[in-house]
Amino acid sequence: MEDKELLEKFSQPESRNLAFNQLVRKYQQKVYWHIRKMVIDHDDADDLTQEVFIKIWKNLENFRKDAQLYTWIYRIATNECLSFLSSKKRKFFLPIHDITSELTEKLVSSPDIAGDEVQLKLQKAILRLPDKQRLVFNMKYFDELKYEEMSEILGTSVGALKASYHIAAKKIEEYLQQD
Amino acid sequence: MKKELRISDIPKHNVHRVPEGYFDRLPMRIMERTAAREHIASTPWQARLWRPVRYAMAPLLLLLLFAGTFLFSMQQAPQQEKLTVATLSDQEIMNYLNAYAQMETADLEEYLAADQELAADFLNVSPTAAEEELLYYKLDDLDY
Repeated sequence: MEDKELLEKFSQPESRNLAFNQLVRKYQQKVYWHIRKMVIDHDDADDLTQEVFIKIWKNLENFRKDAQLYTWIYRIATNECLSFLSSKKRKFFLPIHDITSELTEKLVSSPDIAGDEVQLKLQKAILRLPDKQRLVFNMKYFDELKYEEMSEILGTSVGALKASYHIAAKKIEEYLQQD
Repeated sequence: MKKELRISDIPKHNVHRVPEGYFDRLPMRIMERTAAREHIASTPWQARLWRPVRYAMAPLLLLLLFAGTFLFSMQQAPQQEKLTVATLSDQEIMNYLNAYAQMETADLEEYLAADQELAADFLNVSPTAAEEELLYYKLDDLDY
């Protein structure tokens, strides 16, 4: 079902639940994987995904029909991730290095992670990036979003996003060269 | 020579896994939460207000019961005392007071200063007998 049709049905009380259920089914994987790549832990990603959809449920009536639904959903998911990571740092007074260590530890020890040595090394290299740079790298490299779409989601200029992605890629390759 | 590893050399692969059937169950879990919220939102405010009051009712009733019992016992106690004292004869009251009356040193000094006769009377001796006692023990010569 097209987004426009979903929104139309959501606005009618009798088809509201059905429309929202279809919206969740359509976007749940995109939202979950976007979050999971940022927070690594499945339980955290599960909680945040649910929170994102609850927010969508509460605010969908106020959504501007001229905007793209999936960029709006992406923005909510991105904000939830960044808030979660910053609150985690505040809560435990952790500097950036420690949160990286914590996420790397989860990556190494979790039974929900699969992949060869090179894949894991790439993941570790990505985790060493600052949160926003990591976000940009994930969106471009894994989700294959266009810079224009990313610009709309993150509220940052295309030029700044290109620069951020190239710096991130360079840092990752430097890490990959190390033994 | 070791070949340099570049991002483009690594196949794009999702290393993360989810529990089996996770995405089949997720929409239902989310719908349950939205339904619960809608139920709360649609509940009239009187009913929402009544819920915490209902939980607080038991300790509140218990507290009222204790307070009521305490106030009732406080009101009953003085009346009972009045009734008990009223049934006693004057002689019984005098006996009680004689047995339990206590005199502080300060009270005694006050009485002595006010009236010598009264002090002698109070000690249940005649003034002459008291004088004789003082002479016998030479208490007048003692310096305190």
